[in-house]
Amino acid sequence: MGRKLLLDKEHVEGIRYFDTYRREGGYRSVEKALKTMSPDEITEEVKKSGLRGRGGAGFPTGMKWSFLAKPEGVPRHLVVNADESEPGTFKDRYLMEFIPHILIEGIIVSSFALGSNNSYIYIRGEYAWIVDILEQAIAEAHNNGFLGKNILGSGFDCDIHVQRGAGAYICGEETALLESLEGKRGNPRIKPPFPAVKGAWGRPTVVNNVESIAAIVPIINEGGDEYAKIGMGRSTGTKLISACGNINKPGVYEIDMTISVEEFIYGDEWCGGIANGKRLKACIPGGSSVPILPANLLLKTAKGEQRIMNYESLSDGGFQTGTMMGSGGFIVMDEDQCIVKHTYTLARFYHHESCGQCSPCREGTIWLDKLLHKLEYGHGKASDIDLLWNIQKNIEGNTICPLGDAAAWPVAAAIRHFRDEFEWHVTNAQESQVRNFGLAHYADALETVAG
Amino acid sequence: MTFNLTNIMVQFSKENLDKVEKIIQRYPEGKQKSALLPVLHLAQEQFTWLSSETMDYVASLLQLEPIEVYEVATFYSMYHLEPVGKHVFEVCQTGPCMVRGCDDIIDYIGEKLNIKPGETTSDGMFTLKLVECLGACGYAPMMQMGKHYKEFLTREKIDSIIEDCRAKSN
Repeated sequence: MGRKLLLDKEHVEGIRYFDTYRREGGYRSVEKALKTMSPDEITEEVKKSGLRGRGGAGFPTGMKWSFLAKPEGVPRHLVVNADESEPGTFKDRYLMEFIPHILIEGIIVSSFALGSNNSYIYIRGEYAWIVDILEQAIAEAHNNGFLGKNILGSGFDCDIHVQRGAGAYICGEETALLESLEGKRGNPRIKPPFPAVKGAWGRPTVVNNVESIAAIVPIINEGGDEYAKIGMGRSTGTKLISACGNINKPGVYEIDMTISVEEFIYGDEWCGGIANGKRLKACIPGGSSVPILPANLLLKTAKGEQRIMNYESLSDGGFQTGTMMGSGGFIVMDEDQCIVKHTYTLARFYHHESCGQCSPCREGTIWLDKLLHKLEYGHGKASDIDLLWNIQKNIEGNTICPLGDAAAWPVAAAIRHFRDEFEWHVTNAQESQVRNFGLAHYADALETVAG
Repeated sequence: MTFNLTNIMVQFSKENLDKVEKIIQRYPEGKQKSALLPVLHLAQEQFTWLSSETMDYVASLLQLEPIEVYEVATFYSMYHLEPVGKHVFEVCQTGPCMVRGCDDIIDYIGEKLNIKPGETTSDGMFTLKLVECLGACGYAPMMQMGKHYKEFLTREKIDSIIEDCRAKSN
């Protein structure tokens, strides 16, 4: 069910290699764009498509492109953000590992639209073997005339370079990524100036997520209007969701943003239900930094409407009763999972990954980590819960980049929805070591799955 | 470009020096500092870890001040700033791996090798490190070993991985 635009050929044998990819209709968008369209026309199609950045923030890609400054004689760059590091997220990895040419194809078209003759893929350092896959794909594209000088006789030159990071979540933030590309520590820059004006090496730069750039291929092939017909409301097109946690079928799924959360979790086509016959307890649907929701609020909004896997529906109710689409890192927790412990691992993650530039984040993430450690290991006091709340509140919005918010939100949401579980850890310190609190907030697996 | 390599004992292989030249060409002229992360990766591949001597060498190679290299090498978690074992097990411990039982895997590796996280076995064969999310959440529990991931870990898989490592070095 549902249309696939990025993963439609995922099971074709040899799709990783140029010949197969081309035979299956690959690189048509390059031919169409370079031979029949102007850069502005391409940007216009991307605007019409309604494509929203797939890295997590959901900012309209076409609009981001239109902000790119074009001063005479200054080179511009496209930098693809492949620094996928948000816990729960592994969709870009899947795309690059198995269908690398769709990314290369998208980069060529996007580079032509933006006027980038040297484009970069900044990939997280741990994805070391994928660097080889991408470099092979780039070499194949070169050998077949889709990269290099005067591509398809259009007069457009383009090269793609792969840059490997070295282990730093913060480099997924676009200005930290640019610092890292320049060989520096990944400390985010103060904006403005925005990268569109002053990016890599001080030149106008567009930074886009892997999935966003791959989506340019179907947008150009089918037209922005056609792309916008898929999905619902302002959630146009398809979205890759990486599903993990206590489900029967963890993996990467392409959805068209019209299916319900319930269908996604229990449907055989996607997660296939909760593993080991357990019940659903909670879920973080958009990568670790978006608010966790208990099962009842996850499947239905506070208004009692069915929650849909798209930007608007997931954020329905704001942070009080809703969450966010984020990066599409879908983390499912069953009835045996301890929210305090899970939140502690996330707080430790953000403490580890804070770049240390802004005091609220540098100091605050240490405190979140320590207090949650105390609570989880049976040394917590009731006042620690309020202190946690206070600290996350003082981090949120007070930092240069969104890592501060990303560290604060999971803690806030866990306390908001599972305060009784935190309190239980205080009053049952011994027992909390061996058993999870789990009495409230459950929703039983539903008997029938709609659709 | 020419490299000033006087008084430095560490030395890249010819192959790696060629790679450095190629990497520098990816960036605008005069921006060879951009090559720092990839060149540190090369250095770690050849020398297994980054000593201050190695970092000084990289600085001279890229015409940087040594501090520019130290501050980068200490920022990123993949660079080993101390000697490590021949095989480094970097086990993910973040939430999604936790819910799939990484704690048991970590304990098991520790017991089997008789080391704590952060330590290296006395024969210099294995190092156990705990790391944060490596982007393999759907294939948890998992660890990184060199260039590749080992996924869906079980106690049995750990046994065979350790056996393989030992067999290779005999």
